Amino acid sequence: MSIETIFFFETVVSGLMTGVMYALVALGFVLIFKASGLVNFAQGVMALFAALALYDFISPDGWVYALFGFTFPVWAGIILTIGVMIILAWLIERLMLQHLVKQEPIILFMASIGLAFVLEGVGDILFGSDVKPLDIGIPQGAWDWAFDHGFYVEKLDLYAAAVAAVLVTVLAVFFHSTRIGRALRAVADDHQAALSVGINLRTIWVIVWSVAGVVALVAGIMWGSKSGVQFSLSLIALKALPVLILGGFTSVPGAIIGGLIIGVGETLAAVYVGPYVGGAIENWFAYMLALVFLFFRPQGLFGERIIERV
Amino acid sequence: MSAQNNCGDVLLAVDNINMAFGGVKALEGVSFDIREGEIRAIIGPNGAGKSSMLNVINGFYHPQEGTITYKGETRHRMKPHLVAASGVARTFQNIALFKGMSTLDNIMTGRNTKMGCNVLWQALHFGPARNEEIRHREYVEYIIDFLEIQSIRNTQVGRLPYGMQKRVELGRALAAEPDLLLLDEPMAGMNVEEKEDMCRFALDVNEEFGTTIALIEHDMGVVMDISNRVVVLDYGKKIADGTPDEVRSNQDVIDAYLGVSHD
Repeated sequence: MSIETIFFFETVVSGLMTGVMYALVALGFVLIFKASGLVNFAQGVMALFAALALYDFISPDGWVYALFGFTFPVWAGIILTIGVMIILAWLIERLMLQHLVKQEPIILFMASIGLAFVLEGVGDILFGSDVKPLDIGIPQGAWDWAFDHGFYVEKLDLYAAAVAAVLVTVLAVFFHSTRIGRALRAVADDHQAALSVGINLRTIWVIVWSVAGVVALVAGIMWGSKSGVQFSLSLIALKALPVLILGGFTSVPGAIIGGLIIGVGETLAAVYVGPYVGGAIENWFAYMLALVFLFFRPQGLFGERIIERV
Repeated sequence: MSAQNNCGDVLLAVDNINMAFGGVKALEGVSFDIREGEIRAIIGPNGAGKSSMLNVINGFYHPQEGTITYKGETRHRMKPHLVAASGVARTFQNIALFKGMSTLDNIMTGRNTKMGCNVLWQALHFGPARNEEIRHREYVEYIIDFLEIQSIRNTQVGRLPYGMQKRVELGRALAAEPDLLLLDEPMAGMNVEEKEDMCRFALDVNEEFGTTIALIEHDMGVVMDISNRVVVLDYGKKIADGTPDEVRSNQDVIDAYLGVSHD
C-alpha cells in the first residue's frame, strides 16, 4: 500500500473516532429532546460537570482527598458520580422543569442556557478551572496489531467506539421496547394524553435527565481521558448541534451516524481542503455541512417526519 | 331523580362541583352519579361544561368546590396519572394520540398502569421485564382483534384517517382495563358507518367487559339509543337527569336545545 493510501485511511479512522466523541455528546441531546422536546444547551456542561465530579472523587488532587485524606477507587467514583448526576436531574426537575410545564420550546431552550451558565459557575467554584488529567485506567497509545500492519490507531479511541456502541444498543432497545421507553416517547408527543394513561410526567423527566446525565458522564470520561478535563469541554456541545441536524433530533442511531459523518467530513476537509482555503476549516465545516443538509432533509437522516393535518 | 334498578352500586359520584376559570363559571353546583355497569351520557349545548366535567373526573381540573367520590372514597386534588392508575381511562375530543408511534405502541402505552417492572430490569430488557412485555403484548393483541384494526397494527398513527385514529384512541383506553371509561365525543366528525361501528364497540365493551362508560355526545339518536341514563348540562348547571325518555320530554331540555332566552 502506498504511503498516501495509508495516510488516507488513518485520516478516516481518526475522523471516525472524533465522530464517536461528538456522537456521545449528541446522544444526551437526543434523549432529552425525545422526552421533552427541549434542546438542552447544557448537555456539554453536564459532561464537563460529571467529569469534574469524577476527578474529585478519584484523584489525589481532588477535594475528597483534601478533606478526608483518601480517594475512592475508580469504580466507586463512577457509581458516586452517577449518584451526583441523578441528584442533579432531580434538582433540575424540581427547580426548573416543574415551573415550565406547557411553556413554549424557546422558553425551555432559554432556561437550558441558563442552566449551562449555572452549572459552569458551580463547577468552577467547586472544582476550580485548571485543566485536570483524568486517568481511569483506559489503555492509551498505539494499538499494536494495527501498528504492526503499518497503521497508527489510538487505543483510547477504540475503547470510546466500543463504549458508544454498547450505549447506543442499550438505549435503542430501551426506547423501543420497554414501558419506560414508550412512556418517554409518549410524553414527547402529548403531555395530556400521557397523563391520561397514567404516566407521571415528573418521574419521567427525572429518569430521562438522569440517563442523559449518565451519558454525559461517559462523554466526559472519554473526552477527559483524551484531552484532560477542561472548561472548553462545554463547547463540544456546539459541535453536537450539526451532528443532530444530520442525524435527526429524535434518533439515537442517527446521533451516531451523524457524529461519524461530521467527524470524518471535518477531518478529511482539514487535511485535504484546508491547505487551499487557509486552514481552520474544521471549525466551520460541520456547520456548512449541516446547512447544506437542511435544504434537502430538514428532519435529518433518521428523524421522525412530522405530519400535520390541516 | 330516577333510580333505576338495572345497574349496580354507585361507582362515582360528583357532588356540588363548582369550577370557574377566572370570572367564567364552567360548572355551578353540579351533582350526579355514575353506577357500575351503566352507560351514562352527559349532554348539553356547546359550552355547557361537559368537557370540563370530564376533566374534573379525570383529574386534569381541580374544582374550587365540591367532592368527587370514587369507589366509595372521596378524592382530594388527585393528580391525573394517579386517577388513571385507580382505573379511569379516557379519550379526547380532539384526538390525543402519540402521533409518532405505531398503533401497537400507542395501545401498549395504555398498559402503563398495569406494568410494574423497575427501571433497571427494563434498561437491560431482560428477565422479568421481558416476560412482562410479552404478557401485556398478548392483551394488546386481543384489543386489536376486538376493535378490528389488525391491518393498521404497525402504521404510524399520524398517517391514519380520522375515524381510525378515534378507534386507536379507544383501544389505548381499553388496554388499561378501566373500571370507568370516559369518552369525549367518540363519534364527532364521523360518517354514518363509522358511527355505527363506534356504537357497536361501546355497547360491546359495556356488555363483554362490564365496563362502566360515561360519554359526551352530540348525536341525540346515538345518545338515546345506547345510554341507560342521561344528565343534561346547560351553562354549567345541571338541568335534567334521568332515563332517555324522561330527558327527552323535559321542558328545560327542549328549551336549552331550541334556545329560549336565559333570564
